[in-house]
Amino acid sequence: MTATYLRVFAVLVIVTVIEVGVFYVPTFQSFLVPMLLVLSALKFALVVMFYMHLKGDSKIYTFLFGGPLVLATGVLIGLLLLFYGALRLRAGV
Amino acid sequence: MTHWLTTTDHKRIGLLYFWTAFAFFLVGGLEALLIRAQLARPNGTVVDADTFSALFTMHGTTMVFLALMPLSAAFFNYIVPLQIGARDVAFPRLNAFSYWAFLGGGLFINASFLFGAAPDAGWFGYANLTSKQYSPGLAIDFWVLGLQILGIASLAAGFNFVATILNMRAPGMKMMRLPVFSWMTLVTQFLVITAFPVITVGLVLLMFDRFFGTSFYIPAGGGDPVLWQHLFWLFGHPEVYILILPAMGIVSEVLPTFARKPLFGYTVVVYSGVLIGFMGWGVWSHHMFAVGLGPMADSFFAATTMLIAIPTGVKIFNWLGTLWGGQIRFTTALLFAVAFVSMFTIGGLSGVTHASPPADLQQTDTYYVVAHIHYVLFGGTILGLFAGIYYWWPKMTGRLLSETLGKWHFWLTFIGMNVAFFPMHLIGLLGMPRRIYTYGPELGVSHMNLVSTVGALVIAVATLVFLYNVWRTARWGARAGNDPWNGATLEWSMSSPPPAYNFSVIPTVLSRLPRWRTEHHEPMRDPPEVPPAAVHVPSGSWWPLVTALGLPIMATGAVAHTLGVVLLGAAVLIVGIYRWAYEPSRCDMSHAHTPHSSTHYSIGVDNRKLAVWAFIGSECLLFGSLISTYLIYKGKSLTGPYPHDILNIPFTSASTFDLLASSLMMVLALAAVQRGDMRWARIWTFATALLGLLFLAGQYYEFSTFVHEGLKIDTNLFGATFYVLTGTHGAHVTVGVLWLLTHWVRMLRGHMPDAITIEITGLYWHFVDVVWIVIFTLVYLIQ
Repeated sequence: MTATYLRVFAVLVIVTVIEVGVFYVPTFQSFLVPMLLVLSALKFALVVMFYMHLKGDSKIYTFLFGGPLVLATGVLIGLLLLFYGALRLRAGV
Repeated sequence: MTHWLTTTDHKRIGLLYFWTAFAFFLVGGLEALLIRAQLARPNGTVVDADTFSALFTMHGTTMVFLALMPLSAAFFNYIVPLQIGARDVAFPRLNAFSYWAFLGGGLFINASFLFGAAPDAGWFGYANLTSKQYSPGLAIDFWVLGLQILGIASLAAGFNFVATILNMRAPGMKMMRLPVFSWMTLVTQFLVITAFPVITVGLVLLMFDRFFGTSFYIPAGGGDPVLWQHLFWLFGHPEVYILILPAMGIVSEVLPTFARKPLFGYTVVVYSGVLIGFMGWGVWSHHMFAVGLGPMADSFFAATTMLIAIPTGVKIFNWLGTLWGGQIRFTTALLFAVAFVSMFTIGGLSGVTHASPPADLQQTDTYYVVAHIHYVLFGGTILGLFAGIYYWWPKMTGRLLSETLGKWHFWLTFIGMNVAFFPMHLIGLLGMPRRIYTYGPELGVSHMNLVSTVGALVIAVATLVFLYNVWRTARWGARAGNDPWNGATLEWSMSSPPPAYNFSVIPTVLSRLPRWRTEHHEPMRDPPEVPPAAVHVPSGSWWPLVTALGLPIMATGAVAHTLGVVLLGAAVLIVGIYRWAYEPSRCDMSHAHTPHSSTHYSIGVDNRKLAVWAFIGSECLLFGSLISTYLIYKGKSLTGPYPHDILNIPFTSASTFDLLASSLMMVLALAAVQRGDMRWARIWTFATALLGLLFLAGQYYEFSTFVHEGLKIDTNLFGATFYVLTGTHGAHVTVGVLWLLTHWVRMLRGHMPDAITIEITGLYWHFVDVVWIVIFTLVYLIQ
């Protein structure tokens, strides 16, 4: 188990190095945002699955965490759409 | 007296909730009577405009947060453990804390009257009425802080009941055998733990505007008052279902009992309740059509609002189907339940009319909306709660309320509410705005206002009849016996009121209607009067009360702008938590000969872990709301410094590595505890705490540098959103470090914690870590 924890930590470090690296490289600026979001989601998932043991634990925990997480993401996207996105469109604007 | 102050018995806590909430219900009712007295005649002079504003604000706040929600909580507490076959809730002391925090919050808000500073910006406190500029006194401070205390109480209860209902069910009590009231309680608690964090964020931002000079809702500083409306109604519409779903659950218990038929379409009723809870999250902006969100947003929210009427309508047909062909006994409880169905239908239909934006624009801020909300919350929630009171009163007190007086109470309430609230539809459509303290005779609504006031007085008389019934029943009421109604669910299988241990033997449930004969099952045998083996009963504790006391003390210090009192409250809170956490476990042996634990975990997991996961789920909404605010205000600062001027990526990258490493230390600590290796458990736990401290030191350095470079919390929107978001995360890290150090010190003293204790600390710690992963990307890297 300890070996798995160490491997996950190594991946987390590498992904963070990549995140910070791409931040400074001008070539990546055009798709920096999606790339950072994917890398961040990967780190998030690794910690939740392996360090918080959601991967092998009771499904009820996945429900208790995943449900609100989806809800929070929906709220975030909904608010951004209302303030900036398509839902903000007004007649004649 | 001591027994009540230290009680952890869910039944006593239920009674405390009931009487406290009913007292607040009377206070809110008196405020309503004053409002109606003022409006009985044109150009009324009973109260002045300022007092009128305070009255309608406190009437709404009191009824929603201090009366209806806690009256439902009274039934959650008293009835749910009995219905699911449990000896108590999952966390009895947390349950006591919830009640005392609720009481503290309620008294704190109402204490504002003593200082002539009653909140007066409406129960949904729209920005910028609540800003320092337009509300310079203490009124809004009382409201903001009081609601936060009440939120803590509700959240604590939410985690507790989620764990209780999921994990404390009797053997055989599968989810689809759960009584509908317990099902609706579960859905309600999920709404509480997801919706309350959003309003908490809204209130915290308002608190920062008022106390620390930020501009979250102040246009002059770049803020947007509409953000408050979104945060409020993101909470506020689920809150409507938090108020109505328990009443729907009660009615779903009462109708089958008095129709002598199983609930028609149990599965559909349950799924409809779940669907209502879920869809309740997608309709909030229909409260904001008047803002001018645009045709696409209006169309979206109009559609979702119409859709949510479908599961509600399904329930109504199921209740009618339950009555159809039944052997109906017209008890008072049944009358209230049937009235709930009809009155809530009217309220629901007037709600559907709001779903049309053009119609809504005519109705918004008129008395039509007041009529709608009262048909939903009085015709729905209050009638449903009274159905529950008449139904379960015999179980809670051992005596039957007088049916004769009950029917007087019912008919006066039913007639009174219709006389009071129906004319408001017409008053509103004729153009009378709500929240005006008077009106002229030329508006043509004088007679209908008088009729409405007469209706309010009839409701007051009805309530007096109920109180007389309660008083009379306490003295001369007929003994109820175990089961006066021939009910189908487990709470009727024991004496009334139930013994401290509830069930002498935990029952095994074989049917959805365990006490009725069904096609496949004989009625269950009631448990014996005396337990055959000793039963563990949780002992009382002062510490939930002490801990809860810390909250209003802190709030008082904040209102008085006295840091010393805030710190005193924090000290009381922290000492309370520590004494509570390490209070020696004692057994109340008054009902037992030898200690014996008979806890049954329905889904085979630890309650603490279950509750911590529910808490983490709730935190997703807290940080989700904070991050949303940050992103909404991204690039909206009117002045610098801006993110690219000031953020130090190399330094924060190092902090990120530090926090990731701490997560590794944490799992290694858990692994050490699991294999019983005390030495390495100590080392890894300390290492985790040390890395946490290092992160906090880095955050202190970062904040100090930013302040030095001209970015204070009130400098611009970036400063405000940045400090509040990262500061909230830092506060979480601080709590985690204290938690870890506490484990470490105990390990040094030779106490090896059980693995689950370290695991739940770890879950919290890792969650703080994943939040930082998101913040690091969204705040620092995507500038």
